[in-house]
Amino acid sequence: MIMEIGIVLDASRLARAPLETVELARLAEERGLDLVVVADAATGTSAGLDPWTAAVWLAGSTRRIAIGAPAGATTAPDPTDPQAQYPSVIAKALDSIDLLAQGRIISDPAGWVVAPRDAKPAELARLAEADLPVVVPVDSREDVERLAALAAEGDHRSGVRRRSAAVRAQRKPGIDYDGVPASLADAAVEPGDPQYRSLSSTYLRGGAPGLVLRPSTPAEVSDAIEFARRHRHLPLGIRSAGHGISGRSTNRGGLVIDVGAMNTISVVDPVRRLVRIGPGATWKQVAEALTPHGWALGSGDYGGVGVGGLATAAGIGLLSRNHGLTIDHLRSVDLVLADGRQVRASREHNPELFWAVRGAGANFGIATSFEFEVDEVGEVGWAQLVLLSTDIEQSLRRFAELASSAPRDTTVFLVTGQPRAGTSTIQLFAVVDNPDPDTVVARLTPFLELGALAGQQVVMTPYSGVMGNAADVGPNGHQGFGEPNSRSAFLPTLTPEFARDAAAMLRSGGVYFFELRAMGGAIADVAPGEASFSHRTPAFQLTAMGQNNQRLNAVWEPLRQHFDGLYLSFETDRSPERLLDAFPAPVLERLRTLKHRYDPDNLFRDNFAIDPRTTKEAQA
Amino acid sequence: MTDYGHDLLFGAFITPAAQQARQVVDLAVTADRAGLDLVSFQDHPYQASYLDTSTLLAFAAARTERVHLNANVTSLPLRPPAVLARAAASLDILSGGRFELGIGAGAFWDGIAAMGGRRLSAAQGVTALREGIEIIREIWDTTAPGEVSYDGQYYSVKGARRGPRPAHDIPIWVGAYKPKMLALTGAVADGWLPSIEYLPRGADSLPELNARIDGAAHDAGRDPAAVRRLMNFMKVQLSSAPRGLLNGPPAAWVDQIVDLALRDGISAFIIGGDDPSITERFGAEIAPAVREVVERERKAGAAARPPRA
Ligand SMILES: Cc1cc2nc3c(=O)[nH]c(=O)nc-3n(C[C@H](O)[C@H](O)[C@H](O)COP(=O)(O)OP(=O)(O)OC[C@H]3O[C@@H](n4cnc5c(N)ncnc54)[C@H](O)[C@@H]3O)c2cc1C
Repeated sequence: MIMEIGIVLDASRLARAPLETVELARLAEERGLDLVVVADAATGTSAGLDPWTAAVWLAGSTRRIAIGAPAGATTAPDPTDPQAQYPSVIAKALDSIDLLAQGRIISDPAGWVVAPRDAKPAELARLAEADLPVVVPVDSREDVERLAALAAEGDHRSGVRRRSAAVRAQRKPGIDYDGVPASLADAAVEPGDPQYRSLSSTYLRGGAPGLVLRPSTPAEVSDAIEFARRHRHLPLGIRSAGHGISGRSTNRGGLVIDVGAMNTISVVDPVRRLVRIGPGATWKQVAEALTPHGWALGSGDYGGVGVGGLATAAGIGLLSRNHGLTIDHLRSVDLVLADGRQVRASREHNPELFWAVRGAGANFGIATSFEFEVDEVGEVGWAQLVLLSTDIEQSLRRFAELASSAPRDTTVFLVTGQPRAGTSTIQLFAVVDNPDPDTVVARLTPFLELGALAGQQVVMTPYSGVMGNAADVGPNGHQGFGEPNSRSAFLPTLTPEFARDAAAMLRSGGVYFFELRAMGGAIADVAPGEASFSHRTPAFQLTAMGQNNQRLNAVWEPLRQHFDGLYLSFETDRSPERLLDAFPAPVLERLRTLKHRYDPDNLFRDNFAIDPRTTKEAQA
Repeated sequence: MTDYGHDLLFGAFITPAAQQARQVVDLAVTADRAGLDLVSFQDHPYQASYLDTSTLLAFAAARTERVHLNANVTSLPLRPPAVLARAAASLDILSGGRFELGIGAGAFWDGIAAMGGRRLSAAQGVTALREGIEIIREIWDTTAPGEVSYDGQYYSVKGARRGPRPAHDIPIWVGAYKPKMLALTGAVADGWLPSIEYLPRGADSLPELNARIDGAAHDAGRDPAAVRRLMNFMKVQLSSAPRGLLNGPPAAWVDQIVDLALRDGISAFIIGGDDPSITERFGAEIAPAVREVVERERKAGAAARPPRA
């Protein structure tokens, strides 16, 4: 058995003999003990040291050992009482020490058991059966040495990595932490682990999952899925590069399977330009890897987005009008299914699954590798223009005419927000897939009439220069917080009535981010039945994000009459009606049948989940 | 001349960025090794991207050896005075007398309210601060008989335990700008701790503001020299050509600081910017040079600098 032993230091002793008492904590650390608890047993007229300050001091004076300190009592705040702390400030203090001391503080007294000062080894062993560290009050170096000798004697730790009491104290209920498959145990991250903070949130969403599993091979993904099946009661997020909006790739208290480590990019067949890419690669990395070959694979408009999330949804990007959607280049994909089986889906193997993955992939398994046929793409014109418009309605109309009638080599996305003092700031992101600078300028010039030019950056660059717009994610990982509120729609055409209503929505202030992605061109060359993403003919994809979801809904509702369906990736509404917007009824029916076959228990449900049990009637 | 004759202190004003917790502590260690006298952190508990200042102070104090530490300045509305007093005394004991108490009446009331704090008007805040300071000193005073009882307008308590008693007489430095706060500073504080950027006319405001503090000290029967004058300089830069206050070559910094010390009585110079190399040169190069000149001129005595026009 593993016995964890610690010491208790009294706050009044700390006040009387600070240096000597802190030395006892250092000695405990040196001797390999597990925990130092600061107890506030002070009696008498003068108060002992503030236990929290003492605990933080001890954390700063040590490097490894866990520190136990009950954080201040959480009484209701009373501003007139000079002794009553604010719970909000206590919570912040806890969060801060977690950052400073990297998860070494245990603030809940339920995280340890106190033994009597003179407890015999047998008694300590009995107390340790609670699987909590046992702490003993100490007064001298001899006391600490005696405990250290005891701990060393009882120490039969096997090779298994065992987390400290401080880390284990932060575990979430309902997770079999000790049952994590051996293949995943080393890389798994739980609350309190040093890397936890860098993995808990995503780009746009804050989270606090109970466990992040990080498989790096298909077999490990299979093990992770097996573990997830045993935790069907918890949320399950699947994560590649963490740019999900519709996809809840983080959660609170649940599991995350993060395949970010599976990010290799290799050329399979240079003649056919077949490239194999792991789901964890970002589109920036993909573009950089393909540039030396003179190739590119269209993605979206932001290099930080991951292959796993985008290539299972569609990929409406800045090369789409010339080269189609990302999924149109997919030749085969390797998946691990809900039952743990590893399968390949392509036109030849499991064609139904191949159809389903290209649009609703998140419902069917975890993609572990994609094989794409990429295009030869040379230098492109890459423009970022800022225009100021005093008539956004007119600018939207004109943008629609220009973007839709432009030659296929030209794909332009428009971003704007709430007008300020009657003036809208319009950002245009444009790629002209043409190596001739004069042509590029000619293609872009008409767009300058949308407003007064306030900024421009136009370069000739390989596609990697376009995807290079994304900052690299640092060692702190993503830092999203809260929940994004995003609405998504397809516009069959952009009518004057839409422009009018959209302008009103923008003026309302309920939307801070509004993007129109021009479609058409090569997207429409592919038959709607080819993939479960079936929206081949819209002129634009529209995204609107708001600070407040209710307010966003209120200003979005009047626009619904202009829409026909939606692109799921930008929709955070989880009501079942949205499924029918993402997938027309016959498509949804077919997907549901397949869901029933491949994921009957609905394990994969973090992104437009198609519940296999729901009947068609209930939907209608 | 307005030189109050205090020993000079040199310090660093470090942004308590939560995302850079490790660098923040490293910067405090750098300041300690560079021989600076003070490390201070602002206190805005409602600012989500900042660390909790009390926690950071205790942690950084444990990781440093000689430097003194203070909040710059503690937001009293979210730090109940008895709790603050005990935390301050505890840290002073653990650090061997290296803690000083910077305190203010509170700003950013929306943020304070969002954390559950009480919204006060500026005038109410001044009174609350005066009461808070009295309570803090009572808690620290373990030689007085009985428990602490206090019945104020904004704080009241019956029978709070005294102690712990700090390891040294912790000075209370007040962040003050407006007349009422300056009056409070002169009447009860051990120091005045503003930022130069927030003075209405920068250094040119000093004669007037010092005079207000001096006047209030006189009225309270105190020696104005009982109130140390400290100053934060948030925007500093070492550059080859003199561009402005603490923005130029080291020699220009030295001249400017000496002038502020001898002409305006500023005796603590706390610089922001979070730049380890500036921190190092401030401690190793600039501080000793300033000390040398000031010592020499103070000895010469008579050659006191005329007050600012
Ligand atoms: C700034 C920004 C710009 C964007 N621009 C575009 C754009 O121009 N065009 C466009 O089409 N989309 C765009 N998107 C949407 C983007 O494609 C989706 O959000 C996508 O899901 C992100 O993929 P990820 O791997 O980074 O996300 P993650 O958060 O890792 O995953 C999101 C979801 O995808 C699913 N998923 C992830 N990995 C796998 C896997 N290996 N197997 C199966 N399912 C998986 C899961 O359901 C998961 O919840 C943009 C998103 C952002 C944040």
